[in-house]
Amino acid sequence: MKSVGASLPKYDGIGHVTGTTVYVDDVPTPNGTLWAKALRSPAHRANIKRIDYTKAAALPGVHAIVTHEDIPVNTYGHLSGLGVPADEPLLAESELRYLGQPIALVVAESEAIAAEAVAAITLELEELEPLFDIRKAWDPGAPQIHQWGNWYTQFEGGLDRRQIRKGDVDAAFDRADLIVEGVYRPQAIEHVPMETQVCLVVPEPSGKLVIHSCTQAMYFSMGVVAAHLQLPLNKLKFVGGTVGGGFGGKVDTATETLCAVAARKARRPVKWRWTREEEFLVSSTRAPWHVEIADAVSKDGWILGRKMLTLHDSGAYARFSPYGLTKHSFHHTGAYTIPNLRFDGYVVFSNRVPTTAMRGFGVTSVSYSTEIHLQRIAHELKIDPYEIRLKNANRIGDTTGNGVVITDPSTVSTIQMVAEAAGDELKGDYRTMTSAMRTGDLLPEHLVGQLGNPEDH
Amino acid sequence: MRITVNGTAHELASAPLTPLLHVLREELHITSPKAGCQQGSCGTCTVIVDGEARRSCLLPVAAVDGAHITTLEGIGTPDALSPLQAAFLEKAAAQCGFCTPGFVTAATALLAENATPSRGEIREALSGHYCRCTGYVKILEAVEAVAGRAL
Ligand code: FES
Ligand code: FES
Repeated sequence: MKSVGASLPKYDGIGHVTGTTVYVDDVPTPNGTLWAKALRSPAHRANIKRIDYTKAAALPGVHAIVTHEDIPVNTYGHLSGLGVPADEPLLAESELRYLGQPIALVVAESEAIAAEAVAAITLELEELEPLFDIRKAWDPGAPQIHQWGNWYTQFEGGLDRRQIRKGDVDAAFDRADLIVEGVYRPQAIEHVPMETQVCLVVPEPSGKLVIHSCTQAMYFSMGVVAAHLQLPLNKLKFVGGTVGGGFGGKVDTATETLCAVAARKARRPVKWRWTREEEFLVSSTRAPWHVEIADAVSKDGWILGRKMLTLHDSGAYARFSPYGLTKHSFHHTGAYTIPNLRFDGYVVFSNRVPTTAMRGFGVTSVSYSTEIHLQRIAHELKIDPYEIRLKNANRIGDTTGNGVVITDPSTVSTIQMVAEAAGDELKGDYRTMTSAMRTGDLLPEHLVGQLGNPEDH
Repeated sequence: MRITVNGTAHELASAPLTPLLHVLREELHITSPKAGCQQGSCGTCTVIVDGEARRSCLLPVAAVDGAHITTLEGIGTPDALSPLQAAFLEKAAAQCGFCTPGFVTAATALLAENATPSRGEIREALSGHYCRCTGYVKILEAVEAVAGRAL
């Protein structure tokens, strides 16, 4: 326990400050390494009418063109291991659902030749109307853009949404002095790691593939590559753990699988590094969200009930979005206790790049929306924004939307620290308030009978 | 063409318009300068050319024929850190480390010019260097920690 509380030097810092850390792009490429470039969809939504690779394949220096036909299992989902059906092809077959979706991977003796070959591929499309605004996914006449419909339908029990029901919402709304409504739309964010996606795959004579990867999730990526290629794990050797920034954007397996297929097809080492443009245009982003909140509140600032509708923009395919929405749903009351809840969340498809994890996956959208909403409530009731937060703050013994009894909440102390840092004086009892179980005035009528026993958890 | 990198002279085989970054990384296998954008906008490829911090991704190697170039490898080694490298380590100014070569070379060039820069001057010299991990505060603190001391 020597390290607890101690300030230790960063374990890999010495390499970083001397330029000796070896990132994937720094790994020496073996002789004969080929370079990859992708043919990507130039349209947001289209059907492929015709592709002609003849000219590209005939260019001197081009060694292989990988298409969906080369991939043993082309459609394998990021959550397939958990039994969630897959929806995304590794390389597009006949439909294109986002700008930049990969269709083929060309490997050649240099990046320049590979790029020239990509430009020499003939691609004929029938363009279709794309869907970008997830709130419009339900509109009659909205383009139907996904084989499951415009939103994900594979939650447990055949549900097409993540739902939470607690208490008696209708009674809370009947009893309310005021209903406060708001719509919040946190936007997409690109992770922008300073190291773009990059991968080097070196086939060994034994048939084993050595995969130099910048993934944030080594074993996960190994499983994904093995599933697509239908190889046992002992044929894959992942070398990684040095990541030039990820922030969630390197959880999806972006380059490893296609490089591995290409290396097997060409029987040569293959390296693929994305340009900064590719990173911005086609790498996954944090999702945009559409959040509608209606709160039943009392004049003195208690939140009696909440109805909430969340739409999570998944982009063209599901990837990890159902997981992100699930986390979002668990946090949909923010750091506060509301006993009567009706939450419905949908993972909605659009013709954007598939979205993914980013620092606080699914949760920042909730914090953003609920905190602004609390501010709005305080404004409408003309009460102190600190007071409304401290009143409704999670306390020991409070129960969350899905029935977890809270044993060690930090909302109260956090808000007190925020007030102090902002130089704002808290009123009366709020200055000395703790997270102890609610009693007296701070056990309001709407929470009577709602407390759990922290000892049981 | 000939360049001297970290004290060693090299005759170059690369074509004259090859970016210096590629010459360093691909021909000479000096990999601390990183290809973060290859458009001159992120700073990860920064090296010191005849005393001046330059972005090597947009610099044709012919333009630096005969120059003396210092990369992060030439500033200090794991056994003999420069004071600035030691400060980056101690202040946790390098997280993923991908931006670090650019920051340390640029700040080293600044301190060689101006041993006691103000925080404003440090910010100015490092503006246009992107770091997505640290939030910059620790980087500024590391540079300030050595400002006014011998390099
Ligand atoms: S790689 Fe040179 S500035 Fe980004
Ligand atoms: S430490 Fe990761 S980008 Fe700066």
